[in-house]
Amino acid sequence: MLSIKNLHASVEGKQILKGINLEIKAGEVHAIMGPNGSGKSTLSQVLAGNETFEVTEGDVTLNGDNLLELPTEARAREGVFLAFQYPVEIPGVSNLQFLRTAVNAMRKHQGKDDMNAAEFMKLAKEVSKQVDLDPAFLKRGVNEGFSGGEKKRNEIMQALLLQPKLAILDETDSGLDIDALKVVSDGVNALRAPDRAILMITHYQRLLDHIVPDYVHVLVDGKIIKSGGRELALELEAKGYGWLGVKDNTTASH
Amino acid sequence: MKSASTLSSAFLQSAGQALPEPLLALRANRASALTDLLLPTRKTENWKYSAKHLKLTDEMASSLPLNASAGAEADIQGYTVVLVNGVVRPEASNYPALEGLSIQRFSDLNGDDAELAADLLGKSISDQPAKHGSINLSLLNAARFEDGLLIQLQPGTVLNQPLLVIHHTSASHSGSAFPCILVAAGSNSQLTLVEDYVSSGESPVMVNTATEFSLGDGANITSVRLNTEGQNVQHMGTTGVRQQRNSRFASHSVGFGGTLRRHDLHVRLEGEGAECKLNGVVVTQGTQHYDNHTTIEHIAAHCNSEESYRNIAADKSHAIFNGRIHIHQDAQKSNANMSNKNLLLTNGAEIDTKPELEIYADDVKCAHGATIGQLDNESIFYLVSRGLSPRDAKVLLTMAFINELVAQIPVEQVRDTANTGLNQFFDQAFQEV
Ligand SMILES: Nc1ncnc2c1ncn2[C@@H]1O[C@H](COP(=O)(O)OP(=O)(O)OP(=O)(O)O)[C@@H](O)[C@H]1O
Ligand SMILES: [Mg+2]
Repeated sequence: MLSIKNLHASVEGKQILKGINLEIKAGEVHAIMGPNGSGKSTLSQVLAGNETFEVTEGDVTLNGDNLLELPTEARAREGVFLAFQYPVEIPGVSNLQFLRTAVNAMRKHQGKDDMNAAEFMKLAKEVSKQVDLDPAFLKRGVNEGFSGGEKKRNEIMQALLLQPKLAILDETDSGLDIDALKVVSDGVNALRAPDRAILMITHYQRLLDHIVPDYVHVLVDGKIIKSGGRELALELEAKGYGWLGVKDNTTASH
Repeated sequence: MKSASTLSSAFLQSAGQALPEPLLALRANRASALTDLLLPTRKTENWKYSAKHLKLTDEMASSLPLNASAGAEADIQGYTVVLVNGVVRPEASNYPALEGLSIQRFSDLNGDDAELAADLLGKSISDQPAKHGSINLSLLNAARFEDGLLIQLQPGTVLNQPLLVIHHTSASHSGSAFPCILVAAGSNSQLTLVEDYVSSGESPVMVNTATEFSLGDGANITSVRLNTEGQNVQHMGTTGVRQQRNSRFASHSVGFGGTLRRHDLHVRLEGEGAECKLNGVVVTQGTQHYDNHTTIEHIAAHCNSEESYRNIAADKSHAIFNGRIHIHQDAQKSNANMSNKNLLLTNGAEIDTKPELEIYADDVKCAHGATIGQLDNESIFYLVSRGLSPRDAKVLLTMAFINELVAQIPVEQVRDTANTGLNQFFDQAFQEV
């Protein structure tokens, strides 16, 4: 599904990603962990097509197609979805109108007819219930005045609406209380499918109790320095990043 | 096409022959006051940014034909008055015979009504042609009008649907037009007046408008102004408002840029407890121009004013907002709020905003704020990352900037026309590459 080879990226002349290699197959769930500032969000933004970051070397393909040459909207329509670590607030743009435009852009790309307002409303209400968001949120501005946890649930709701092929979840678990973590995890598990890949970025092993990954990778200073199974996360939780030879200026758990 | 430098050479006196005596006399007075007044230059304070867009030629000096026909406005619903080149076309108009409401054209006025019109005309607008380095071109209207409308509401009269006035400029050849509307609203009367400025024909023309409202105690008047004239029209409009005790005035204006677009809105809060709310939306693109000058005078105590103007400028266009609040010495407990937000869609566009506050009373609340910004790249990326085209993302964000004001326009038909115009604007401003 997703193949990342020797990916280098920089921002404002500063090299952040220094040769990432990662293969994700359909149906798999991969987790990426790593210290603050190691480049996890940069990787996710580069995959989604944020032009703030310059790809200086390497290749990324999605089902064989060169992802890096597609503009952001084309990547989204091909099924790349990024749940942002910090979803932006857009006052004045109604969530409902935004989501319907997004869903219809996707449907058009797939050769399907537009959803009318009533059909969409029905669907949107269903998925908002699935992430335990009051449908009243649909009428508000995009993320406008949403609490941290509500923003994260809104991101997962969008993933459920758009049904991506590759869902990248950047710290979708941070800032969630225990109940919300359960709700969000259930949402992510609902996304798990044989034809879909999920890449989750997290600092906390507790998320992985709910969403059990097939692989765990450790990203440090722009490189994946270790990969393993589910047990790697437990080890990181217990020992921090220090045992990997990394100066541990962060904690993997609170 | 020589360009003119003084008003008297720029604008020939013409007839006004159908007018009743008091209006003719007033017109002649105003005309002589303007003799030898120079046209504004960039050194003229209130024309600093707009003088370069004012391009008057000798051909524009004569009045446009007074008998031009209205054209294709036939299927308009509701109460409608059509003016073509500033002259009322009764055959194209359709308004109610309602007790307490009288709508008369100037040329039909006589007796007290004619005196009233002459008395109202120019009363809400400064009658000094030049002052403190500023030049008042609104006075041209009173020197040149050929016809006009006097709308009178007797006390307590309520019009239950909007009265639409279509100002049609028929520009089959060069010339100028001077539409004029006077509204005398008796105490506790209510009216929503929509003024729609449109044009046909391609010749360079000038339209100089005057609309004056006089609100009695407790009157509630809403003025909606929409400008979709062609690019060949240089438009200078003035609206003057005088408000007595506890009256309410709301203004909603939507302006699309042009070669020269200017609107001066002057509200005088003369009676205690009066309130005004002024909303304005302007979009400009290409090399277009739009200049809004507003003045709110708090003359009596305990009055409220609330003003919100938003400009969006694309390409190499230029939008201007000048908002003056003048709180007189006796206007204690005044409450004035002015906000002007601006969105630059390109680096080549220009927006100038200037709040002017003059406060002579000590117990007042007066807040003002002006911002100029661009579309937020992070927001665009967020929307586009969900599959929206960059165009759709920019349209959503730009609409969000003005939607709050557009949504407040109380007449659906005007909102629809505004939205159609805005969509055309977006099509041009955000062309897909
Ligand atoms: N737009 C930017 N301009 C400048 N530097 C940036 C920018 N975006 C990211 N960086 C820098 O790149 C580095 C990696 O940041 P990134 O957000 O990818 O880290 P992260 O692994 O996601 O960290 P965290 O766990 O705190 O979310 C950091 O040093 C950050 O300051
Ligand atoms: Mg991050």
